[in-house]
Amino acid sequence: MTTRAALIRYLSLREAGVYYAFLLLLAVLAIASAMDGRPNYLSATNLTNILDQASLVGIMGVAMTVILITGNFDLSVASVAALAAAILVGTTDIIGFWPALVAALAAAACVGLLNGIIVQFLGINAFIVTLGTLTAIRGLVLIITDGRSLMVQNPDALIAMTNFESGRVDLYWPLLTAGVLLALTSIVAILRHRVMRSLPAMWPFGTAATGIAMAGLALLAGPTLSVANPVIYLFAFAFLAWLVLTFTTVGRRLYAVGGNAEAARLSGINVNAYKLGAFLLCSVAAGFAGVLFGCRFGAVNPTALQGGELTVIAAAILGGTSLFGGAGSVVKTVIGALLLFTLTNGFNILNLGANYQGVIEGTVIIVAAAIYTVGGKRRHATGRNKASGRATTEKAAISATPTEDAI
Amino acid sequence: MTKPGVPILELVGVEKVFPNGTCALRGVDLAVWSGKVHGLLGANGAGKSTLIKVLSGAIPASKGAVIWRGSRVNWSTPAEVKAAGIATLHQHIPLVPTLSVLENVFLGDHGIWRCSPVDGARFDQLTASIGYDIDPYALVADLSIGQRQMVAILQALAAGADLIVMDEPTASLASEEREVVYRVVRHLAASEGKAVVFVSHFLDEIIALTDEVTILRDGTSVLHARTKDLDEENIATAIAGQPVVSLSPPDTRVSVFRDEPFLVVDELSSPDTLAPCSFKVFRGEIVGVAGFLGSGRSELLHAIFRADPHAAGSVRLCGTQVGNSVSAAIHAGIALVPEDRMRQGLVPDFELWKNMTLPHLQNVARAGVFPVRAREFEWAQEAVRRLSVRTISVDIPVSELSGGNAQKIAIAKWLFGGTRLFLLDEPTAGIDVGARANILQLVREIAASGSAVILVSSDFEELLSVSDRVVVMHKGRIVAERHAHETSEHELILLSGGVTSAVRHQPATSCIQQPTREIP
Repeated sequence: MTTRAALIRYLSLREAGVYYAFLLLLAVLAIASAMDGRPNYLSATNLTNILDQASLVGIMGVAMTVILITGNFDLSVASVAALAAAILVGTTDIIGFWPALVAALAAAACVGLLNGIIVQFLGINAFIVTLGTLTAIRGLVLIITDGRSLMVQNPDALIAMTNFESGRVDLYWPLLTAGVLLALTSIVAILRHRVMRSLPAMWPFGTAATGIAMAGLALLAGPTLSVANPVIYLFAFAFLAWLVLTFTTVGRRLYAVGGNAEAARLSGINVNAYKLGAFLLCSVAAGFAGVLFGCRFGAVNPTALQGGELTVIAAAILGGTSLFGGAGSVVKTVIGALLLFTLTNGFNILNLGANYQGVIEGTVIIVAAAIYTVGGKRRHATGRNKASGRATTEKAAISATPTEDAI
Repeated sequence: MTKPGVPILELVGVEKVFPNGTCALRGVDLAVWSGKVHGLLGANGAGKSTLIKVLSGAIPASKGAVIWRGSRVNWSTPAEVKAAGIATLHQHIPLVPTLSVLENVFLGDHGIWRCSPVDGARFDQLTASIGYDIDPYALVADLSIGQRQMVAILQALAAGADLIVMDEPTASLASEEREVVYRVVRHLAASEGKAVVFVSHFLDEIIALTDEVTILRDGTSVLHARTKDLDEENIATAIAGQPVVSLSPPDTRVSVFRDEPFLVVDELSSPDTLAPCSFKVFRGEIVGVAGFLGSGRSELLHAIFRADPHAAGSVRLCGTQVGNSVSAAIHAGIALVPEDRMRQGLVPDFELWKNMTLPHLQNVARAGVFPVRAREFEWAQEAVRRLSVRTISVDIPVSELSGGNAQKIAIAKWLFGGTRLFLLDEPTAGIDVGARANILQLVREIAASGSAVILVSSDFEELLSVSDRVVVMHKGRIVAERHAHETSEHELILLSGGVTSAVRHQPATSCIQQPTREIP
C-alpha cells in the first residue's frame, strides 16, 4: 500500500470518524452559542472545564481500551473506583493521605487480580464475572461506608488531598512548546520515511496533527491557560499507554492476544499473563480515578460514580474500539470521552434541558457503532475484490474505486 | 415405495466442475440399494466431499443423472433432497446444544407446540427401531460425540429418511462408541430396510460393516464391488491407484546426518489423545507422519511443541531438554505450523509483516522492546519473495490473502528466528497446486540447510515424495515406521486404517471388477 492509500484509509470516516465528530460538535456548539448571544463557547475556561469533567472517565477509558484490545471486558470499573474512594476517605484520618492512597490502589489491584484470575483460570466469561464484581464491590462500598457519606476530618489531610487533585497547572508555555516540538519531530519523521522510501507508518501524521492541535489550543486559550491536575494525569496516562501500544513488543502482543488468542499462544506469547495484566491495569486505573474523585470532594457517598462504567465503555466504543478484541486506540477513546462530556456541557450551556440528553447520547453511540461496522464491512468487501483481481460487477468496481485510485 | 430390483439411488456419470475451473468429479457411477450398507472410500481430494455435497443437494451436479427410486430427478436445494428422503450426517453434527434430545430429534417438525405428548411416543418408537436407548430429556450439550451421532441418526429417521449418508461418522469416536454406531447402522439396513452410504477412511470397518463398496479416485469411481469379494489389499490398491507416481524421486536428497539424534522424543503422551510415543529425528531429515483424522497426529505435534499443558514425557533437541512451555520450545528453535491456519496460525486482522514477526518479535526490536518497522518490513518482504507469496503489499491484513498465500505466511513467520525443527501440520491441505509446490520445495530446502522437519499430511503420495521416513499413527499411537523408499501409499493406507498384519506389497487383483472408467 502506498503512503497515499494508507493515508486515505487513515483519514476515512471509519478510522478517524471520532475526530470529525468531535470537531463538528465543537463547531456546532460554538455557532449555536454565538447565535444565541452567549459568551464564547470555545473560551479557555469552558474548554478546560470539559477536560476536567472528562478526566476521570478518560482515565478509566484508556485502561478499558487496553482490556478491550485483549478481548476482555470490565464492567466493575465504577464500583472499583467507588471502593478506592471509600477506602481513601475512610482511612486518611487514621493513617494519613499517602498511605491511604496506597491502600486504595492496592485494594483496586486485588479486585483486578481477582477478576483476571476468575476469567483466565476458571474460564468464566468476563462479562459475567465483572457483572458479579460490579454488584459485589458496590455492596462492599455500602458495608465500608455503612450506607452513609464518609468525610475527611483532618485538615492537614484535606490540604494534601486538595493539592493532589485540585492544584492547577499553568499550561500555556508547556502546551505550546510540546505542541510545536511534537509537530516538528513528526514532520521530520514523515520526511525521513519519504527519503528512505520505506513503507509508511501512520503515527507521524497523527502526532503531527496532535502537535498542531495542542499549539493551536494554547494560542486560542491565551497565556492564562491552566488545567487541574486530573487532566495532566489523564494525558500522561494516555500518552504512556499510546507509547506502549504503538511502539513496544508488549503493545504488539496485546493486540495479538486479542486478535487471535490461539495464534498468539502458538507464537509463544503468554496469553494469560497479558490478559491478567490488562485486568490489573484496568482496576488500578479505576482505583486511581476513584482516588481523584475522593480527593475532589474530601468525601464519598455509597452511590458515588454509580453507572459510570457505561459511560467509560461508551467512550471506548465512540473511539472505535472493537468489543471482540484486537483493535482499538487509546487516543480515540480519550476523544470519545471528551465528545460525551462536550455533549453534556453543550446541553447545559445552551440550556436545552437535560431531558433530551439521554436520547441524543444514545443516538450518537449507535450512529458511531453503525459507521464503524458498516465501514468495516465495506472495507472487507473491497479487499476481497482486489485480492481476487476481479471487479466483475459495476457495483464492486465502484466500491473498490477509492483505494484502487490511490494505488 | 421403492420398486424391487431398482436401486433406491443411482448416479450415472455425475460430473462437477466448479466455476473456477476445478474439476472435482469426472464421472461417478453409484448405485445404492435399500437394506444395504454402501461403503464410499477415496483418498483426500478424490472427490468424496464433493459427491456428498451433490447427494445432499448443497451443490448441483454439472452433468450426469441422479435417479431416485427409478425416476430421474433434478434437485437444487437441500430442502428438496430432505423431503425426498435423503438425510446427510456431516462430520460436524449440526444439533442445537441447548435443547434436549427429544427437541433436537423433532426440530424439523412444524407444529406449534414445543413439546407435544405425541412426540414422546414417536421417540420411543424411533429408539426401538434402531435398537438404541437414550434419555430424551438429556441436553445435547451434555452428550458425547458418539451419542450426538445417534441423535443425528434419530433426527434423520424422524424426518422420514430412507437413505442416510454418513460422512466419516467414526473419525472422532472412541472404540466403544464406534461399536454402537456399527450396530445401529447394521440394524438400520438389515431390519428397517434403510439404505446407508457410509464414508470412512478406516478399512477395517469398511470390510466389517458394508455390503458393497465404491471407491473414488481423482473424481471417478474406479471400483465397485461387493465387500465380501474384496480384502483390504484390493481396496488400498484401488484407493492409491497405481503405479504411484512420485512428485519427485525421494532419493535425490542425501544430507541426513545419522551420527547423532537431533530430536529425541521420549514417552511423550497426553491423556485420552496420545499414547506414549518415542522416536528420534536426525539433522537434515524429513519425517512424515501418516494417519487419518483422529489418529493423534496433530496432538503429537502440539505435544512436541509443548503447547499441550497436559502432556507428559520429554523432548530433547540437540541433547538439551526443552522446557515445558511454548516459549521454551520456540526459544529452543522449534516451530509449529498448525492445521487451521486462520484460527490457530495467524492473527487475521494483523498485516502480513506483523504476523510474520510475532514469534520472534524481540529479534527485530531495539533493546528487545521497541520493534523496528523497517526491519520488520525487510523480513516480510524477503519472505514474500522467497515463498513467492502473491500479494500487492506486505502491509495488508493477512485475512485478505487466498488460502495458499496465507499458508505461506503461516510458515514464513518461522523462517527468521533460528528455527531448527519445523512441525508442519497439513501444510498443503486445501491449497492450489502452485502454492503446494512452493511449500514442498521450501520443506526440502529447510531440511537441506541442516534443520529437520516433521510433516503431517493426509496426502500419502505427497508424504512419500518428500519424506525420508514415515511414521504411521492410528488411534493415538505410533503403529509403524517405514523408510519412504521401502513403503508405498498402499501400505500406508493399510497401516493408517488399522491393519497391521499380513501387509504385502504386490496388489491382488483377482476378484476386482475392472475400473469403471479410465483416468484421463
